[in-house]
Amino acid sequence: MLAQQILNGLVVGGVYALFALGFTLVFGIHHLMNLAHGAVFMTGAFVALYSVLAGFPLWTGVLLAIMVCGLLSVVIEITAFRRLRKSGEAEFGAIISTLGADLIIMTFAQKISASEVLRFPFETFPVRIFEFAGLRVSLLQLFMAVSAFVLMLVLFWYLYRTPLGTRVRSVSGNERAAVLCGVNPNVVYFQTFFLSGALAGASGVLIGLAFNSIQYTMGEPFLLRGFVVIVLGGMGSIPGAMIAGLLFGMIQTLTAAYLPAGLTDAIIFSLLFVILLVRPYGLFGKETAGAMRAER
Amino acid sequence: MIDFLNTYHHLFNVFLIGSGYALSQWVVMRAGVFSVATAGLASIGAYAAAILTMRLGWHYLASLVAASVLGAAVGLLLSWPLARLRGVFQAIATLAFVQVVMALALYSDNLTGGAMGLNAIPNLVGTVETLVSLLLVVYLMMAIGATRLGRAFEAIRQNEAVASSLGVSVNFHQALAFAISGAIAGLFGGLEAFQSFTLFPATFGFPAVIAALSYVVLGGRRSVAGPIVGAAILLALPEFSRPLADYRMALYGAILMLVIAFMPRGIVDTGLLALRRRRIARSSPAEARE
Repeated sequence: MLAQQILNGLVVGGVYALFALGFTLVFGIHHLMNLAHGAVFMTGAFVALYSVLAGFPLWTGVLLAIMVCGLLSVVIEITAFRRLRKSGEAEFGAIISTLGADLIIMTFAQKISASEVLRFPFETFPVRIFEFAGLRVSLLQLFMAVSAFVLMLVLFWYLYRTPLGTRVRSVSGNERAAVLCGVNPNVVYFQTFFLSGALAGASGVLIGLAFNSIQYTMGEPFLLRGFVVIVLGGMGSIPGAMIAGLLFGMIQTLTAAYLPAGLTDAIIFSLLFVILLVRPYGLFGKETAGAMRAER
Repeated sequence: MIDFLNTYHHLFNVFLIGSGYALSQWVVMRAGVFSVATAGLASIGAYAAAILTMRLGWHYLASLVAASVLGAAVGLLLSWPLARLRGVFQAIATLAFVQVVMALALYSDNLTGGAMGLNAIPNLVGTVETLVSLLLVVYLMMAIGATRLGRAFEAIRQNEAVASSLGVSVNFHQALAFAISGAIAGLFGGLEAFQSFTLFPATFGFPAVIAALSYVVLGGRRSVAGPIVGAAILLALPEFSRPLADYRMALYGAILMLVIAFMPRGIVDTGLLALRRRRIARSSPAEARE
């Protein structure tokens, strides 16, 4: 029973990791918070759902969701961040302007879905259960785990093994120095936001398939939990977000299984508060949480 | 005028309460703390006031004072661990606090009514009491701005290292700002409880955090008028965009994005800056060109 819960937690955790990776990527590289990340996630689920309803096979829907969300995220960068970056007031401003983007996306999703909870048609993803050493694993869970793992590997390969990734990391280190070396920061922003949106879209589809209830408000709880994951892993740390995502999935599943139902959120967010106090840079982050800062 | 007041009476009350929350959010940001605890502190104040009056039969003024004191105490307690954090980390920690308060309010349903809400709260305060409270708070904030305390807040906000090198204790002043913010949030939470007949834990969740924050950032973070103007604009907007009913929130979002993109300091601060530039330009054209 316990092993089964841990396994379920790991699968959900993989998807949390995917969602949080995109979130932490933007924070780690540009030191900006994108509150519209939850809305992008929701858009992923919507795009996949509507393409399946329109008669396309699921894999087309997934690819379409990833592309659309990547581009949506780039649009958010251009509209919500670009001007602000130059003004030097981005720390507060970004929160408000991405919130604006979040509201706009949610309004349209609400309009399209007429505020209803939508579901994938039955057997969109074949229901098949495997028994393995006393544990039950569904094909969907395997698919979720494998695709989360593959997407993370791709991200790693891209960031650490390609020249494009080197440029991205150089902007993260020092944007001005990177520009002097001939890196075009706007191209880098394009890439990171595209990746971030694509990851959010992919996790949106996976969560949509797993829980099969798709709603225009589904992004908000994920955004709030995404905070817990990126803080636990260390803000901006990519391996941290992965491991913290898995851990978080397990913690959530276990508290939901063994403790009173209403207390899950209280426990999760108290945990977040405690982590911030004891180890604000998380498991793998850099020690900047208490740094004095200049004007705000 | 009377007609206008009758039509928009409720909206005006909502605006007064919203301005209160905005000022509570403003006062911490003014001291350089990026806390978003206002919603959680307001929740504590609202439930405390409602429960004190309903269960223990306290006079509503006593309940309001108690709500305010409780808010200040919780704010003060919160400031102690938060002194270790800065910037976005403070924001996330206080967001966690808001979520914990909400989860506990949902969980302890024999006291708060849980998800079904705390119902049949007596309607004891009206526009007059709320307006008086708001004016009192505004007066206090302006008074603080004109004293040593206000200058200390300002110094910490502008540069912490410089402030502490001048002998301004950062931790002490930020704790004080937390306490003031908690007192305001608790008071207006109590006022909201006595006006709205019913309270739900979700009223003080993430959307409330965002609302208070957007009033301040949109209106302006430096002057006292900023948060009030921000609240007025953002609360009046949905009301006056009725024809666009379904796209109201999208319009709200678009306005947030546009204002921040073109006036990142907020409406009031940008306006004041422009006025000052013009005054300088008139008196000495050479200086303004810099």
